[in-house]
Amino acid sequence: MRPGGRDGAPDAVVRVVARLLPGPSLMVAAGLIAKGYAEVGDGFAAGVIVALAIAPSYVALGAEGVEAALPVLRHAPAVAVGGLLLALASGFFPLLLGEPPVSHRPAPGEHVVKIGALELFTPLLLDIGVFLLVVGVLTVLLHQFGRPRREGGR
Amino acid sequence: MLLSIALLVPWVSGALLVALDGRRRAVAWLAVVALAANLAVLGVLAAEVSTGGVAQVVTGGWPVGVGIVLRADALGVAFAALSVLVLLAAAAHEAIGGVRSRTFPGLVVLLSAGLTGLFVTADVFSFYVFFELAMTASYALSAYGGKRRQLRAALVFTAVNLLGSFIFLLSVAGAYRVTGALAMDQVAQRLLTVNPNAAVLIAAGFFTAFSVKLGLFPFHFWLPTVYAGARPAVAAILSGAVANIGSYGLLRFGVALFPEQLRLAGVALVVLGAASIVYGGVMAVARGDAAEMLAYSAIGQVGYVLVALGVGGPVGLTAAVLYSAVNSLNKALLFLASGVRGALVAAAFALGALSVAGVPPAAGFVGKLELFRTGVVAGSAALVVLLVVGSALSLVYLFQVYQRRFWRADPQAVGAASPLAQRLLTAALALLVLALGVWPEPLLAFSGHAVEALLAGNSP
Repeated sequence: MRPGGRDGAPDAVVRVVARLLPGPSLMVAAGLIAKGYAEVGDGFAAGVIVALAIAPSYVALGAEGVEAALPVLRHAPAVAVGGLLLALASGFFPLLLGEPPVSHRPAPGEHVVKIGALELFTPLLLDIGVFLLVVGVLTVLLHQFGRPRREGGR
Repeated sequence: MLLSIALLVPWVSGALLVALDGRRRAVAWLAVVALAANLAVLGVLAAEVSTGGVAQVVTGGWPVGVGIVLRADALGVAFAALSVLVLLAAAAHEAIGGVRSRTFPGLVVLLSAGLTGLFVTADVFSFYVFFELAMTASYALSAYGGKRRQLRAALVFTAVNLLGSFIFLLSVAGAYRVTGALAMDQVAQRLLTVNPNAAVLIAAGFFTAFSVKLGLFPFHFWLPTVYAGARPAVAAILSGAVANIGSYGLLRFGVALFPEQLRLAGVALVVLGAASIVYGGVMAVARGDAAEMLAYSAIGQVGYVLVALGVGGPVGLTAAVLYSAVNSLNKALLFLASGVRGALVAAAFALGALSVAGVPPAAGFVGKLELFRTGVVAGSAALVVLLVVGSALSLVYLFQVYQRRFWRADPQAVGAASPLAQRLLTAALALLVLALGVWPEPLLAFSGHAVEALLAGNSP
């Protein structure tokens, strides 16, 4: 981790905010996905919010620092690809059942299991997939922007 | 079902391949296999729709207007198959020569997913989504090579085309605002009754967006830097596959959604097309570098498509479809040949040059012939003269380059020959161009069906 101070590193406020933001942003994202079927919100918006919350950490700590603190960020490419595959699977699985793509189970009108406002049906997987894709891709971009110069020269 | 598979194959394989290290030989060849599979599915689909049928899927089984409509007609499938063929050739070219970046094979396959999607969708907004998928992959591809030249090309390409995409999205929003619909059929129907000024404005927005993609004369400024700076395989992809978005978009949106505005703008389109032809030709003659010459030539060649579109009617539109197809093959062949050295290449390049100029044995002759028919049907001597001048110019600039590259005993140019497989690939592409010129009936018939399918929507 780089020390703050004369070399232009961000000051304490940025570092504290950067540390505090990612946790709550995950809750906001979960809320957006859960209410997305009745009100405004979806996996894309949720993903952008989480990525925006991660961005200050890259500003404050640099790519190496933030990835040492949150090792899960190193797997961003895998998260993006996994998310895309999950979204594609939830969109195209009806082909196996002989239905048009993006049909969902339980079908319209059938009973849906609910946990509070969260409805458990296959479009939820699509939204989670899109969420992972957006977070993954934006984190890869942040990593590219945030890595030190000597690495960038390669 | 087949239509969904045509989308699923490149999308899933692209997602998987982009995660693997593309510099490994196996991964590059897997991408080639994925593209070949995609092309095979599109070929079966083409056989199904070639007799005037359509393959249609409404997502989720919802009624039309709620669910997104995917509809493959002859026009869409023809453009999709053509673009994937060019991608296949470029991917194989790089796979033989050795891929230099991790993501290249995966991105090419994802690009093919985006292109397939946008050519078979009948929904204005999902057209935009697939369009962005294809463009995002192309932005990343344009930086392929990673040298200063390529990065500059990528920056210019991305900046200008993001602006183009933004104009496109604004036009989609405008169309939705005045019609309240996104399915192309409904938009087309309701546009008949909206305020003509609004419709003209939206049509102009779409026209600008597609012209930027295509690199037509007043919107061409980005094109020479990008095509000359990118690596040959990428230039072939951009001019042979990605530029198809522009010509397809002009045809689909112009004829199916804005027929009235297209008729009004006919003369303006012909004038713009003529300007493109003359400007591209004259600038190409003045260039010494092969890649730069080909870039200006590309500007000139798309002018012909616009002229044919401006004249309109079944003859003009058939010529536009046919010429887009021939032009995309020509450009892929010439750009790939410009990156290869050794025996066979000179012959392949010469064949491509003859095709661009429209000299008989090559496919370009058929395209030029249809354009001449268009000029005659339009009853315009000026148009016929313009076509002759354009062809003469292309013959001049292409053989200037041919002479410089292949007739000069320059020790540098003679250098190390490219792998035989790469040369054979170029030769195979040249043979395809030749075959389409010698036996043009399938191409002519398919273009005819494509235009029938396009016009069928207009007169229900």
